[in-house]
Amino acid sequence: MNRRVLVLAEPEGDGVTEVSHELLAAAFRLAGDGGPVSAVLPTPDASASMAAAETLGGAEVLLVEGPAHDGRTGEETAAAVRAAVEVTAADLVLLPHTATGWDAAPLLAARLETAVLTGVSSLQWSEDGLTAERQAFQGKFVHEVGTKRLPAVATVERGAFPARPAGSAAQVRTLASPLSLERRRSRLLEIRDAASEGVDLAASDVVVSAGRGMGGPEHLHLVEELASALGGAVGASRAVTDAGWLPHDRQIGSSGVTVAPKLYVACGISGAIQHLVGMRGSRFVVAVNKDPDAPIFGAADVGVVADVKDILPALTRALTGADG
Amino acid sequence: MNAVALVKQVPDRNSVFRPAGPWIDESSLGYGINDYDRYAVEAALELREAGAVKQAVVVTAGPDEASQAIRTCLAMGMDRGIHLVCPRASLADPFRVAKALAGVVRAQDAGIVLAGLLAEDSGHGQVGGLVAGLLDMSWASAVTAVRFRDGKLEVERELESSRVAVVELELPAVVAVQTGANTPRYASLRGIMASRRKPVERIEPPELANPDSCDARIRSLRLAKPERAASAEILEGAPDDVAAALIPRIRSGAGIVLGGGAS
Repeated sequence: MNRRVLVLAEPEGDGVTEVSHELLAAAFRLAGDGGPVSAVLPTPDASASMAAAETLGGAEVLLVEGPAHDGRTGEETAAAVRAAVEVTAADLVLLPHTATGWDAAPLLAARLETAVLTGVSSLQWSEDGLTAERQAFQGKFVHEVGTKRLPAVATVERGAFPARPAGSAAQVRTLASPLSLERRRSRLLEIRDAASEGVDLAASDVVVSAGRGMGGPEHLHLVEELASALGGAVGASRAVTDAGWLPHDRQIGSSGVTVAPKLYVACGISGAIQHLVGMRGSRFVVAVNKDPDAPIFGAADVGVVADVKDILPALTRALTGADG
Repeated sequence: MNAVALVKQVPDRNSVFRPAGPWIDESSLGYGINDYDRYAVEAALELREAGAVKQAVVVTAGPDEASQAIRTCLAMGMDRGIHLVCPRASLADPFRVAKALAGVVRAQDAGIVLAGLLAEDSGHGQVGGLVAGLLDMSWASAVTAVRFRDGKLEVERELESSRVAVVELELPAVVAVQTGANTPRYASLRGIMASRRKPVERIEPPELANPDSCDARIRSLRLAKPERAASAEILEGAPDDVAAALIPRIRSGAGIVLGGGAS
């Protein structure tokens, strides 16, 4: 059965983002043999986006053009995708599970009178609709969900599908955007880098990270001492920086720093997907957590199911020979 | 003009969760306010205290026990509550929840609606955006700062790689608040006393009456522990023994030189 699948492509430099190629791979798989796959690329200037469009191998590309598409707000993206859904009669719309997708997908879904399958890692057609796997309870469980309503909208986790190699688009068309500057109700003012206090986590060979399981800021010295014994830097999960135990520039994860050290030691970190995407490039991962079901153990090479407050001092002692 | 905070009551984070078919076994769990929503409530309270809005209203959907979540928010300082009474299982479909919430929000003279970024349990992360779409309000997610400026809302939203977008939203607007946006307050004893006199309106929305309605857009089919693709080697024993076992594994696995007594 051929199904029509539409993906959002996001321009970046001369091409599109990596996740755009991943969405295309998912789309070709779901569309069936030779089924039509379309890609929508919102742009303020179609001619400037032509080169990016041409990298979307095999797809029928729709450049949705208009002056209101200069900021990639949820409103802008949703309006462009909605226009493309009408033109392509898509059964399924795939967006990346990124800041862009988070913002645009629910607005689009509301217009299509449906809900979003968010953060999915797999998708397949069922007898009467679509099923998908995602995570619930902050990564503790795999959650299979289904929808019978088409067109369906899904946001796809980064890295869930291997990227389709860049190649020539099957066709590139330009469509005038339905969103005018006058009707637009949200506007990007600026994008800036969050303040950094100069901790070079990304360049460190060893990162020792603290999570909520540390119990409180009074125990963070255990992480600092281990990092010092290993010659590494101190990182943190979002829960720790949100609580103000460590500054925000230490946060590792999708909204913070991405690290790929030789050694990553996760101390009392449960391992929500937002954290894992920030450290999964690490060569060797040691996880210490009291909860044997913590998802971090799925991303670790060696796990210790124990209280960090017992294990960390013992490891620091062993490394420094403090106890002779 | 009022601020409306949308909150969800979720199982306590530290509970032992047991998968049971399409969802978890909810028979013996304690419940509390979704952590993300505490930041939405705090943001609403700060806007009211700054005089930017008249009232701060809290809305939740859930069974009778969910009234406790409203009480907690009233004790934190919210002015009044609205409880959409429905079976907990009806919360599985974000679309119908958003539709019911939108119906209520429409009547609240809402200048700004604040939701948490996602719920700790289901994690769908879309109810705020669906409400915005259904009511044709402007919208931003992952918001870490909110301020009114010249009759509009200026928000900061998180992007990837430690970047921040500053976005201007026309009113009325819906924002999904990210954790860390502020420091949520705890209820004071005085707040708890005062909360008892604050009004809570109960509504039974027809769209949420039947969890198995054929109108559901998303169905929960199965919940399971993840299969571990690469399972970790698990070390056990006394801390010093575990430490001694870790060191050679780190040395060979990570390929780093370790100092001190590591030899």
